[in-house]
Amino acid sequence: MFSFLWKGIIRDKSRSLLPVIVVAIGVFSVIFAYGLINGMMSNMIQTTANYQTGHLKVMTRAYNENRGQKPNDLALLGTDTLILQLKADFPDVEWTPRISFGGLLDIPDDDGDTKAQGPAVGTAYDFLSGNNKEAERIGLEKAIVTGGMIQHPGEIIISDDFARTHNVSPGDEVTFFGSTMYGAMTFSNYRVAGVVRFGVSMLDRGAVILDIEDARLLLDMENAAGEIFGYLPENHYDTKEAEKIKTEFNSLYVNNTDDFAPLMLRLEEQDLMFQTIALMDKIMIIMGIILIIALSVVLWNTGVLGGIRRYNEFGVRLAMGEEKKHIYRTLLGESLLIGFIGSVLGTITGVALTLYLQKYGLDYSGIMDDVNMMIDPVIRSKMTPSVFYIGFIPGMISMLIGSALAGIAVYKRNTAMLFKELD
Amino acid sequence: MKKIIGLLCLTFFAASTFAQDAEEIIMRVDNNLSAKSRIVESEMTVHGRRSSRTISSKSYTVGNEKSFTEYLSPAREKGTKMLKLDKEMWLYSPSTDRTIMISGHMLRQSVMGSDLSYEDMMEDRKLTDIYSASLIGEETIEGRVCYVVQLTAKVNDVAYETQKIWVDTGRFIPLKQELYAKSGQLLKRVVLSDVKQVSSRWYPMKMIYKDVLKDGKGTEWLITHIEFDKPIQDHIFSKASLKQ
Amino acid sequence: MLLFKTAIKNIFGAGRRTWLNVAVLSFTFVLMTAFNGLIDGWINDALTGSRTWETGAGQFWHPTYDRYDMFTLPDAHGKIPEDFAPYLADKSVTPVLVIQAAVYESGNMQNILLKGIEHTQQILSIPSNHLLPEDDLIPAVIGERMANTLHASQGDHLLIRWRDKNGAFDVREITIASIFSSSIATVDEGQIWLPLTKLQEMAGMQNEATYLVKSEKCTIAEDIKGWSYKDNDFLLQDLYTLMQSGRVESFIIFAILLTLALLAVFDTQMLSVFRRQKEIGTYVSLGMTPQQVTRMFTLEGTSYSLLGIVAGAIWGFPFLYWFRKTGIILPESYTEIGLGVHETMLPIYNPGTIMTSIVIILLLSVLISWIPSRKISKSNMVEALKGKIT
Repeated sequence: MFSFLWKGIIRDKSRSLLPVIVVAIGVFSVIFAYGLINGMMSNMIQTTANYQTGHLKVMTRAYNENRGQKPNDLALLGTDTLILQLKADFPDVEWTPRISFGGLLDIPDDDGDTKAQGPAVGTAYDFLSGNNKEAERIGLEKAIVTGGMIQHPGEIIISDDFARTHNVSPGDEVTFFGSTMYGAMTFSNYRVAGVVRFGVSMLDRGAVILDIEDARLLLDMENAAGEIFGYLPENHYDTKEAEKIKTEFNSLYVNNTDDFAPLMLRLEEQDLMFQTIALMDKIMIIMGIILIIALSVVLWNTGVLGGIRRYNEFGVRLAMGEEKKHIYRTLLGESLLIGFIGSVLGTITGVALTLYLQKYGLDYSGIMDDVNMMIDPVIRSKMTPSVFYIGFIPGMISMLIGSALAGIAVYKRNTAMLFKELD
Repeated sequence: MKKIIGLLCLTFFAASTFAQDAEEIIMRVDNNLSAKSRIVESEMTVHGRRSSRTISSKSYTVGNEKSFTEYLSPAREKGTKMLKLDKEMWLYSPSTDRTIMISGHMLRQSVMGSDLSYEDMMEDRKLTDIYSASLIGEETIEGRVCYVVQLTAKVNDVAYETQKIWVDTGRFIPLKQELYAKSGQLLKRVVLSDVKQVSSRWYPMKMIYKDVLKDGKGTEWLITHIEFDKPIQDHIFSKASLKQ
Repeated sequence: MLLFKTAIKNIFGAGRRTWLNVAVLSFTFVLMTAFNGLIDGWINDALTGSRTWETGAGQFWHPTYDRYDMFTLPDAHGKIPEDFAPYLADKSVTPVLVIQAAVYESGNMQNILLKGIEHTQQILSIPSNHLLPEDDLIPAVIGERMANTLHASQGDHLLIRWRDKNGAFDVREITIASIFSSSIATVDEGQIWLPLTKLQEMAGMQNEATYLVKSEKCTIAEDIKGWSYKDNDFLLQDLYTLMQSGRVESFIIFAILLTLALLAVFDTQMLSVFRRQKEIGTYVSLGMTPQQVTRMFTLEGTSYSLLGIVAGAIWGFPFLYWFRKTGIILPESYTEIGLGVHETMLPIYNPGTIMTSIVIILLLSVLISWIPSRKISKSNMVEALKGKIT
């Protein structure tokens, strides 16, 4: 029976190829769309993770209490040891220190006096140790307007608006004036390596980026950091995994009463992210339902049409003495087979593209006129287990239901009518 | 002996006419504290939540317009210089060889993480110029009898509208000072001690500042050397001297 | 015209099959509109959020005010120009005074901004109605982020310290009258909202403001006596930039839904050409050129889309209207401090977007109907008459 149906499908292209293609395209589109929406959502979460929260973040308890202020006097000390410990305990997670700081950015005139000055907020990342992906994570390279990345100690990246207002270009020397983690005045000269567009007016006005070691020198924070960010493997945020790591880490310090003991937080526990995540979960469900309904209706239509198109043939078969029940069954069997083949093809291609876009993404920065740090001009997808059935199940069932409906005609009409249908 | 008689007379006098006396007390405090110019070497200890640091510096001040400070230690701050002329301030750091101008608003920031702002440090107007005084009692601090004087601002541009000072009845030096907000809320408490005679006047060599609304141990200021009314060359108060 | 009439007759003649197709198309069309509506609604939410919480219909800034430079704040206050008097009177402009301050919370000091706002204002969503000053009590409203940072709940008392216009320190106790939840962090983080008159009195800045927020009713749209007018294009610039990034992805998703819809048309066309070969042969033998027949079939296919759109409009209109009213109610989320927040996502239908999608659907369905039909013109008419086009 199966091999007979199989031959029929293989040999009659109009019976097989077209519906298979339609099912495959349909299933593929749904999986692709779903992966894409999921990618969009997780991209938004990832952006927050990249800049503000990490998937996990370690701070001192005291720092956490006032984390809105980025209080460096309450920073983590002995971060080298702490990071080594984190790496040993959670080797799959990438741990990287960051420091946020504030001060004044001062442009000298020829005599070394102040020519221009503005308030500056700074963030220091680990660029130069060579073993992590901070520059990529914050999309620094793409957002550079002129100049380049920080490649040597003593280099600074400044914001576009500041550079334009005060006429500063790469290669120029600027002075940062601020206070150390102990409150003392501190000054340092830097060479402007690059000018960057942040995409947030406040940052574009006067944000600076330093390498973490330079910031440590500037802020008297040797072997210290305000925050240690943790990123889960594949840059994929997994609440359960994060919770596990967090619980395990924090349990080490349960009996420690020191205000400066380290404390780990998950992404959702910062910046009201749990609200955003709840919203995104809801959107994903709605989009999933919309896509499934759309696919079901289209494929059901295909099934019906596929059946109608064969009324003629059924007439002949009935005339030759085939039982109605048998014809109906072969019709259903065929459409099940077509649905299956199409759904498998669609799922394979859909999942493949989703995986590809998850891994490599599709860069469209070329068509954007204004690239900045806050916008990642890359289309990314995200795999979830649901992509395996979100297209497959409607692909199988809708086709079958469509054929089943069309096939009812086999019972309703007499042989002659079917034979003559549209003749 | 003369001094004792003078003091006795004064006490008697004070008891009879309180208000006029309070002004008199403050004037005598001003005479001790205020000078045309001074050269101070000091150590400031800032107690942070986790550690304490001591910064030593030497400053030259003329009135309350001109001031020049050079930081002597620790190594990080050594050679950093600060020049304040009226409402403007410049900072020089040897490591960057840069002179940075600081706008007026920055003067309200805390100095080196302490409980003092630049403004607090620079304030050198005579108490009699900005406050009217009234005597509200007598108390003993560290074995010394003190007048308790309430100061109320008579000008607008003053950080603390009222103050309460405990003035040593013998040496006319405040031993305790409480700084209040307009609402009457206590903001800072200053404890002055180690009163020494410097040339013709008495001067407290140790001061502890404490922001009472904030946790912490406050800031200690220790004067290791002080000279009054010694002529200071004018070129010190020029931007050129920052780089020297 | 004849072709069109025949085409319409044909598709109506096909009965059930036509209605099936039209149903599928209208469904996808309505779904697409709903989807785009949701995306637009989402974007609009962000814009509306900023407008209702922060920017109003525009702002007038004191000459020295710069929202990103805290150092401008000590000077950025002044008497409101007379020109605004009528607008202040009819509440279409509301002043905000901003001063720097510190707040003490169990021995910790935090630098914050105090923002004074009229308790009667209706322009911004800040719950200023809680700010009716009482004799000794200074009521304050804060956002939930600030509440989190300060570990404060409703009814709590906090000490704030600020300096008046002359630099004198002052400290008062404030009472948290209400905590609001806003998606706009910039009206929440690091700031405390106080009654305007109280703050003016506290700072010694009677009748002064830092900036003015206007509603749609206020018609001024230019600088007034140095107070510079900032429209929403300026104030919401970041948001506009951010929104562009969502466009590419949502375009792709739109394209996918469109693909699904057109698959249905394609299917039908294939079936038509397959089953109506004799009819095609007949048309040709009656004197129509194969090109004309192709055109007619293409028209037929396109008419499905047209009918789909019409049908979609008929049933979609009430549906989309209902959807516009109810939206999607987001799960009740509560914050760490236990505030219940109900949010609803409402779609926005942009006529431009709808028209564009109609045009795109029609154009693509012309193409999609033409592809299967183009065989006709290439086929041997004798074979066609026998029903043997393959």
